[in-house]
Amino acid sequence: MTFTRVIARRYFVIWIAATALWLSAVPAFAALGGDASTVDADRVRMKGSLLRIVRSDAYTLHEIRSESGTTVREFISPAGKVFAVAWEGQWHPDMEQVLGAYFARYQQGAQAALRQRRTRGLLRIRDGDLVVQMSGHQRAFTGRAYLANDIPPGVQADALR
Amino acid sequence: MLRTFALAFVVAQATAGACGTSGTTGTTTTSTTTASTLNMLSIVVNDGPAHSYFNGAFTSVMICVPGQSACQVIDGVLVDTGSSGLRILSSALTLSLPQQADATGAPIVECNEFVDGITWGPVQTADIKLAGETASSVPIQVIGAPNFSTIPKACSSVGPTEDTLTALGANGILGVSVFRQDCGSGCTIAGGANPGVYYACPASGCLVTTQALTRQVQNPVWLFPVDNNGVVVQLPPVPTGGALTVTGSLIFGIGTQSDNALGSARVLTVDQVGNFTTVFNNQSYSSSFIDSGSNGIFFLDSATTSLPLCQQSTDFYCPPTLRAFSATHRGVNAATSAVTFNVGNVDALNGSFNAFSEVAGPNAGSFDWGLSFFFGRTIFTAIEGQSTPGGTGPYWAY
Repeated sequence: MTFTRVIARRYFVIWIAATALWLSAVPAFAALGGDASTVDADRVRMKGSLLRIVRSDAYTLHEIRSESGTTVREFISPAGKVFAVAWEGQWHPDMEQVLGAYFARYQQGAQAALRQRRTRGLLRIRDGDLVVQMSGHQRAFTGRAYLANDIPPGVQADALR
Repeated sequence: MLRTFALAFVVAQATAGACGTSGTTGTTTTSTTTASTLNMLSIVVNDGPAHSYFNGAFTSVMICVPGQSACQVIDGVLVDTGSSGLRILSSALTLSLPQQADATGAPIVECNEFVDGITWGPVQTADIKLAGETASSVPIQVIGAPNFSTIPKACSSVGPTEDTLTALGANGILGVSVFRQDCGSGCTIAGGANPGVYYACPASGCLVTTQALTRQVQNPVWLFPVDNNGVVVQLPPVPTGGALTVTGSLIFGIGTQSDNALGSARVLTVDQVGNFTTVFNNQSYSSSFIDSGSNGIFFLDSATTSLPLCQQSTDFYCPPTLRAFSATHRGVNAATSAVTFNVGNVDALNGSFNAFSEVAGPNAGSFDWGLSFFFGRTIFTAIEGQSTPGGTGPYWAY
């Protein structure tokens, strides 16, 4: 076996592995605030299945089901930015994955809400442009997070769920 | 003093009756009703043990070392129809309970998810005594135990930790929802589909583990020998403007005794996650639920309801004057029930009061019928798989 054949075979194996990964991966998942260019990296991390993609003039909705059955919907603006994520399931989603760069602000906001809160059984965080709202009960949680300044014109916040 | 005596007498009588029924039946001369178990626990809506709550229903629970007489009464325990299982703050627990372990001897620790945070702590076993009812050797969660202080990142990243009296606002939570266990079948599955609620924690660190249904933290009610098909929460009406405190009852069993008959209550069955549908302004909202652990009626948003948010308590609605609403509850069984409720100005409420029927707030796309909804109603929670005169649980009825 020549050196070049070894190299060629090695690359072939890598190509097969990469193709398999690409085929098994979920097409498109990005965290809050992410953009279309991060989708390729993010989809490999997300072990789940794509349920549907809905396109409208105002945004594109990707609906994904995680391995443990929680449905995550991401709302992508025409400019290619994930301006909202919403979820629904028996358990909370991986909040770090869903919130991406906003995860630390969620953690701080949730801690603050716990200290100052008046609501019980409901969590609402408003920190600048970041809005996080969580509701539900054991075995049935819902939630959403959005960037208030990035909601496309004509889209009602109520629709982001 | 007289009441204490009377209570002791009733308990003694109930115990004697239970012994009699399990022994010979041939010589019975007393009527069967004298064998009834004391099935009513008093609940109070006050500011709770941390003096931080409003619209929270609290009770006292007795837990004992399994099969032994070493017991402790813990007060200030929140009654929660939105979760299952007894959880007690480690700081409120003086009793030493046996730790649940896996086959290798590793202790089992739970990451329990609530809406607003998580409770992390070991699964231990206790006899739970509520009024005259006993559930034996029940897995419970001890929250915030100092020997399990390191929370795995996958758990702490879910939400803030509610492991102190200040954070929880209660000494514990008595979860009496429509479910038998807190997690259910999801936690019995290995691999990526497991939600990561139960952990095995050997000295080397905690890893997610599968947890059989019987080993999960249990709604104690379905483990009672009798009165085990559900609970009834009964609270008196609260006038507009609120009340300092109100007292009511947590009654065990549905249609098992004279105090828990369904009567004319409408049975609304729920879906597999415990939800039913609320119809409001001709729109259907299928993620609706009844939750005594929520302190208001949380529904929709300002745009949909025309209710302004409060200036101070910004997570609540503050209409300038009291507003009346109507909605319809529809069960999975298609049974319907009309509901009327009021929404008041939360910022204008008397800050020293603890019970309000007009407290409500936003919750986009959903209806959370919290404690405000319970005032003036008798609400039945039937447990999954348990037979009742209104059919097999899970269902709500009121």
